[in-house]
Amino acid sequence: MASKFGLAGGIPERRVRPIWDAIDSRQFKNALKLVSSLLGKYPNSPYIISLKALVLERMGKSDEALSVCLSAKEQLHSNDSALMDDLTLSTLQIVFQRLGHSDLATSCYEHAAAKFPNNLDLMMGLFNCYVRESSFVKQQQTAIKMYKIASEERFLLWAVCSIQLQVLFGNGGEKLLLLAEGLLKKHVATHGLHEPEALMVYISLLEQQDKFGHALEILSGNLGSLLMVEVDKLRIQGRLLARTGDYKAAADVYEKILESCPDDWECLQHYLDCLLEDDPTWGSEPIENRIDAIKCADCRLSPLTDEVFDSRITRASTFVHKLQENLGNDIVRCPYLANLEIERRKHLYGKGDEQKLMEDLIQYFFRFGHLACFTSDVEVFVQVLSSDKKVELFKKLMECSSTISQVPAKALGLSITIFKFQQFLGNMYGLTVGGLEDLAVKMVEMFCMNLPLSKDLDPQESMHGEELLTMACNVLIQLFWRTQYFGFILDAIMVLEFGLTIRRHVWQYKILLMHLYSHLGAISLAYDWYKSLEVKNILLETVSHNILPQMLGSPLWMDLNTLLRDYLKFMDDHFKESADLTFLAYRHRNYSKAIEFVQFKERLQNSNQYLLARIESAILQLKQNAGNVDEVECILENLKYGMHFVELSNEIGSKSLTFNEDLESRPWWTPTPEENYLLGPVGEISHFPKDNLMKKREANTRTLIEKKALLPRMISLSIQSASVSFKDGVEVNGSVSNPNVSSEMKLLLEHYAKILGYHLSDALGVLGEVCRGLISTEVFGVDMIDWVNLAVFSSAWKLNSHEFDLQEREARKFGSWHDVDTLLKRCILERLKFLSNPISLHSTDFQTLVRLITEPLSWRVLLIQCYVRTSVPSGKKKKKSASADPSVLTLSSVVHDSIRSLCGTFEEAMRWLRNQNRKLEYEEENLEGTFLSMRSEVQKGRPGRVFQILETLCSSGSKELGDRISGALESWDPDNLVRKIVSGQRAVFSETLSICESKCRTLNALKQKISQI
Amino acid sequence: MTTIRRFCCDDLLRFASVNLDHLTETFNMSFYMTYLARWPDYFHVAEGPGKRIMGYIMGKVEGQGESWHGHVTAVTVAPEYRRQQVAKKLMNLLEENSDKIDKAYFVDLFVRASNTPAIKMYEKLGYVIYRRVLRYYSGEEDALDMRKALSRDVEKKSVIPLKRPITPEELEYD
Ligand SMILES: CC(C)(COP(=O)(O)OP(=O)(O)OC[C@H]1O[C@@H](n2cnc3c(N)ncnc32)[C@H](O)[C@@H]1OP(=O)(O)O)[C@@H](O)C(=O)NCCC(=O)NCCS
Repeated sequence: MASKFGLAGGIPERRVRPIWDAIDSRQFKNALKLVSSLLGKYPNSPYIISLKALVLERMGKSDEALSVCLSAKEQLHSNDSALMDDLTLSTLQIVFQRLGHSDLATSCYEHAAAKFPNNLDLMMGLFNCYVRESSFVKQQQTAIKMYKIASEERFLLWAVCSIQLQVLFGNGGEKLLLLAEGLLKKHVATHGLHEPEALMVYISLLEQQDKFGHALEILSGNLGSLLMVEVDKLRIQGRLLARTGDYKAAADVYEKILESCPDDWECLQHYLDCLLEDDPTWGSEPIENRIDAIKCADCRLSPLTDEVFDSRITRASTFVHKLQENLGNDIVRCPYLANLEIERRKHLYGKGDEQKLMEDLIQYFFRFGHLACFTSDVEVFVQVLSSDKKVELFKKLMECSSTISQVPAKALGLSITIFKFQQFLGNMYGLTVGGLEDLAVKMVEMFCMNLPLSKDLDPQESMHGEELLTMACNVLIQLFWRTQYFGFILDAIMVLEFGLTIRRHVWQYKILLMHLYSHLGAISLAYDWYKSLEVKNILLETVSHNILPQMLGSPLWMDLNTLLRDYLKFMDDHFKESADLTFLAYRHRNYSKAIEFVQFKERLQNSNQYLLARIESAILQLKQNAGNVDEVECILENLKYGMHFVELSNEIGSKSLTFNEDLESRPWWTPTPEENYLLGPVGEISHFPKDNLMKKREANTRTLIEKKALLPRMISLSIQSASVSFKDGVEVNGSVSNPNVSSEMKLLLEHYAKILGYHLSDALGVLGEVCRGLISTEVFGVDMIDWVNLAVFSSAWKLNSHEFDLQEREARKFGSWHDVDTLLKRCILERLKFLSNPISLHSTDFQTLVRLITEPLSWRVLLIQCYVRTSVPSGKKKKKSASADPSVLTLSSVVHDSIRSLCGTFEEAMRWLRNQNRKLEYEEENLEGTFLSMRSEVQKGRPGRVFQILETLCSSGSKELGDRISGALESWDPDNLVRKIVSGQRAVFSETLSICESKCRTLNALKQKISQI
Repeated sequence: MTTIRRFCCDDLLRFASVNLDHLTETFNMSFYMTYLARWPDYFHVAEGPGKRIMGYIMGKVEGQGESWHGHVTAVTVAPEYRRQQVAKKLMNLLEENSDKIDKAYFVDLFVRASNTPAIKMYEKLGYVIYRRVLRYYSGEEDALDMRKALSRDVEKKSVIPLKRPITPEELEYD
């Protein structure tokens, strides 16, 4: 803090220090006292004023802090003798930023920098302001000014990066890059370069302009010596040579790299790319895309003649062979996998030899088959084989595995590989139910048999064969899918819980359990496992998709709220702090990182999950408070009445969305959050559907955001509409009081209907038919909630738009007051009929019920509260005049009917929920019943065999397992587990029940109010 | 099968399967980004076929005079890639950077006293227990401060173990 002269912001350091100490130790009151007394001495010191603002802000007094800040700013601008140092400005900046007014800080810096144009500290502060605003042009201008003052390398590079950012974000093209290049060239000529990062920027700038030859010259010139690590330099050289088209030289370079790093797989790929003169994508292309390339029949990626091709392949093989010979140990896999890659390349060229590829695969298996990564290593190569060959390969691997005699751990590894390979090939789909069952049994048996291998392992370490239980679970769920026996899910749960009893850290088991419990509707258990994963920070972005969608449809609002809040807080915090970290990278001259940080922030800001979570969190707040109109209005005010969300909805079509979820960890039956095969019939699922799935996902998500983002605004407008229509509508004799609300609402409804694929009037027609029982609610399909929302909101709109007439009960299509209630009742009743048996209850079907209750039904109750609020005046005088008005009387009877109908609807739902809960109390009717039968007699093809293996192991109490494992086995308590699942299921019913009860209470209170009229 | 390269922000979105491991801490963003912004050559990731993340190391270089040293803040390898020398390669790279480029005297690291596998590995890689830091982890578990001398510390002074354990307050760096 202290400057050279013992002054801070122009004030003696010793006087300021106590204030900072007080702030640091969070004694804000004391700090305020100190700062105020100092202010008495230096009333016009902008620094002390800023400090006061800082203290006030920390005390939570935002308004005061802002006004103090503004007076400091005023001082800076008006008082010519005011000291304008970076300390003052940066203090002010901190407060302004925390108050959400960074722009004001920028203008302070701008003012100061203009006044003291040679002050580098101030200029750097200003540069930082522009980094915060992502004003790349202004960044560039400021950096150039600094460069002119100090001619320091770093300032020039700040300017160059700012230029690159402009180009990356689509503003400015070649000319700008040329300018940057010119500046650098000139600087190099006079000053040279001193930082490796500067050289990297220079090269990237040239690459951005396709000037590869030029970049090569620079790299091999003097500047090249800045790169201290030879291999790093070679990598760049190889890449540049390839891009200039000098494949031969590039291949030579890659050979050199491979000689020193024989395990560098990426480098090996580049090497082959160069030899075969493939247009290399230099690592930007994901491997999956290459698989697609294989599928297109005549893709000759290489322009080589046959002869040249053959000779290049020979060269590659020889080289790879040499690498293998030079290897001392059997850990390095790359040169062996290279054999496979060479075969694959031949295949791409149309010169494939499946037999040879198979042999190479088998060789690789001999060498590395016991490793956990074997299957993922060879995936791409197996894809090249025809299906017949795949089957043949599998058989061969089985044979081999029995001939390789190994130490036990390796033998186990080989067996696991065989199972994994089988799952990878999709062979499971070809097996009979019996075959699948045997497979699951074998896996679990193998796990149990090999437990002794792990007895001396540290509890922190993964145990041998952990994957077996994951695979067994996969098979058991396959069995459930085929047979629809719920017991198989229970078997799977038992296997995983058993595994976690032995070692509680296996995250793969936890994720599977989260999905299984969700499927059973025991969402609280799923959430418990999620919590035990301690997902935090960036993992919230990549892992929470395993629980979030299920929670969104559950009545566990508290937990959902925590989940959404933590996630949004993480993201928003990052957006706030990202610029300062970017500036840190600039300051430490890690220019490429500065650019990277900006791009990363952009990537997170466009996260589909983030956008959805923001909307969902708004909707959740509204749901939670739907019993109280005042609260809802307050929330809406904070949400700017949903205007921002409408904007989001309008621009989502053209926005680039990012999908950052790590889907790899999801189970096979639900590869994306939107997809759950268990809900559909058994059918073909292709094994590499990723590309298609992702495209579908992107389209779905756009629609979802577009649709959901309209809700807060529609709720807000409906409330406005309901709050004026009865009172004003009646008082001013039916004239529409707020035409704007009405026309905006109409637009939104039309938009909403369009997303559902209809014109508004047609959609209303459909709603009318459903309402009159002409067609079933099934027409709504998966969009049930949206349709019913449309019904609720369009009725609110009609009320205001004057198309609705109290006398005319026969509204033409749909939208009479009464229609909505009928529709709501019908939907609930049909849902209840559909959800008959709690054991076979699919959680997603139940979710729809919960959402019906907590969304459209709740909005309806909310709107009725508005009607009543406006039409039943609170004052005594008004009450008299109101009761004299005949139209209000009609109204109150209409609303009265409505309340009765809604109460009835809730009663139905409640009766059903109570009934379900009662059923869950009886063993025969719940999972405990299924479980009992699994225990008693086990038949082939029926659940329970796997479970029995676990039981046998536990009862045998084997000594050879060591204390830790035997201790864990003793604590295994499957009965308790089943009870927990059942109570988890009941918790969801109870929670839903209490939501319904509270709605009924609200309605009854309204009934009372109306009856006063 | 390790391509080792600098860690970049996008890797944060791909390292879930490594970080879900219970011994691997997921830090907040400013922590990772501070390391990236200041010591990008001490933050590396190892990638396998299909660009799968096998593991990563993050570290820094700091200190004054003879305590100028490299520091390993975290090293972790996904379970399916363990015992294939991935951690060893990552550690070696960091040691080499500290030794050759930054001319540091030693490399140090903290490890939970209960994390036997990691301690065994560090010992295998030539680290010795320099001292014990009492209740270093959330005021509960002790840490072992382990060190390995680099070529600049000719007499290996930096790794002579301390006799008594210290408290976190006595640490020179955080
Ligand atoms: C510790 C960890 C990083 C080791 O990674 P790794 O890639 O498997 O280690 P390496 O293969 O490079 O091991 C090098 C040597 O260390 C020793 N070693 C590694 N893991 C060991 C273990 N679990 N038990 C005993 N020695 C071990 C071995 O001597 C090994 O050489 P060897 O296989 O030829 O015998 C890994 O287990 C891990 O990620 N653990 C969780 C995170 C963690 O604890 N990090 C450390 C705290 S910051």
